[in-house]
Amino acid sequence: MNKKYIALTLGIVCLLLSLGISVQLKTMSTTSSYTTGSSAENKLRDEVFRWKDKYDTVYKQLEEAEEVLEKERKSATENSTEAADLEKELLNAKTLLGQTEVKGKGVVITLDDNKALVNMSSISIDPNVLLVHDGDIIQVVSILKNAGAEAISINDQRIVNTTAITCDGYVVRINGEKVGAPYEIKAIGSPEYLKGSLEVSGYIDMMIEDGVMVDIKKSNSITIPKYEGVLTHKYMIER
Amino acid sequence: MIIIAIIIGCVLGALIGMGAPVIPYTYTGYLAIAIVAALDSVFGGITAVLKGKFDLKIFVSGFFGNAILSILLTYLGQKLNVDIYLAAIVVFVGRMFTNLSIIRRHYIEKWTNRNGITSKD
Repeated sequence: MNKKYIALTLGIVCLLLSLGISVQLKTMSTTSSYTTGSSAENKLRDEVFRWKDKYDTVYKQLEEAEEVLEKERKSATENSTEAADLEKELLNAKTLLGQTEVKGKGVVITLDDNKALVNMSSISIDPNVLLVHDGDIIQVVSILKNAGAEAISINDQRIVNTTAITCDGYVVRINGEKVGAPYEIKAIGSPEYLKGSLEVSGYIDMMIEDGVMVDIKKSNSITIPKYEGVLTHKYMIER
Repeated sequence: MIIIAIIIGCVLGALIGMGAPVIPYTYTGYLAIAIVAALDSVFGGITAVLKGKFDLKIFVSGFFGNAILSILLTYLGQKLNVDIYLAAIVVFVGRMFTNLSIIRRHYIEKWTNRNGITSKD
């Protein structure tokens, strides 16, 4: 009788214990595997997570609101050809601005730092030339635009007319977001034309000569995400 | 029987834990210290059972008391900006090793005794 009670309590306690452990493991795997550090550091990290969480929920709300708006617009334009034409025009304008997800054929270019050579302790090579810089990305994007690319994204950051590509230490800042190597540049356009232009320009060859890892692939189906920011103007006035 | 109960408890807890929602990152530090306290209590309980002086009241109060006290200490440490939870971890893990060595010794003695009897025969 007594042993039964002991077994029962130990069982319940073990249940609580493994419950706690599994919840903890689950939480840690969804947030971050890095737990050590002082409490001040943890607090800061915690704050970052909370802001990210908040951002995600607000972004989700925005997406839902946009969906509702789209639905409303569709129902409002259902029985009027004029409104339907306007709707089509609006969608076309949005697509041109980069506010819709698009797909088509084109090329995928991957630029990566030459990590093997950077880690080697040879002094004869300046490690700077082995890395992908903001200038390299700007060059590639310009070549692609020149070759008639209709939509370009770098690591899922859509290139729109307000996009800036700047250096930010070890990473590159695109659309205000930090983007790190490897850089996957997707471009929609004529695959032959885009690839040919890149090869002809000589810039790719120069990067390969420097030791940067470059890979160009033609693809028949590329999906480029929409621009996630807001396009607005403040100083310019329509005339 | 006690071992079976422990295994069933662990498996059930893990199964429930898989379906349970994640907790906010803020509380992971507290939960971690509570887990260490609970682990210590379980080892203490097993040792007490082996020694034959297991007391239900002492065990349950120790389980919850240790966990709550360590959580409070962690909270206080965060307010004072001192990592007090390290002290709690040192105490709990130290005790865990002591208890583990007692458990180990108990079973090894049992085993050698049985072997000694069979070899004598």
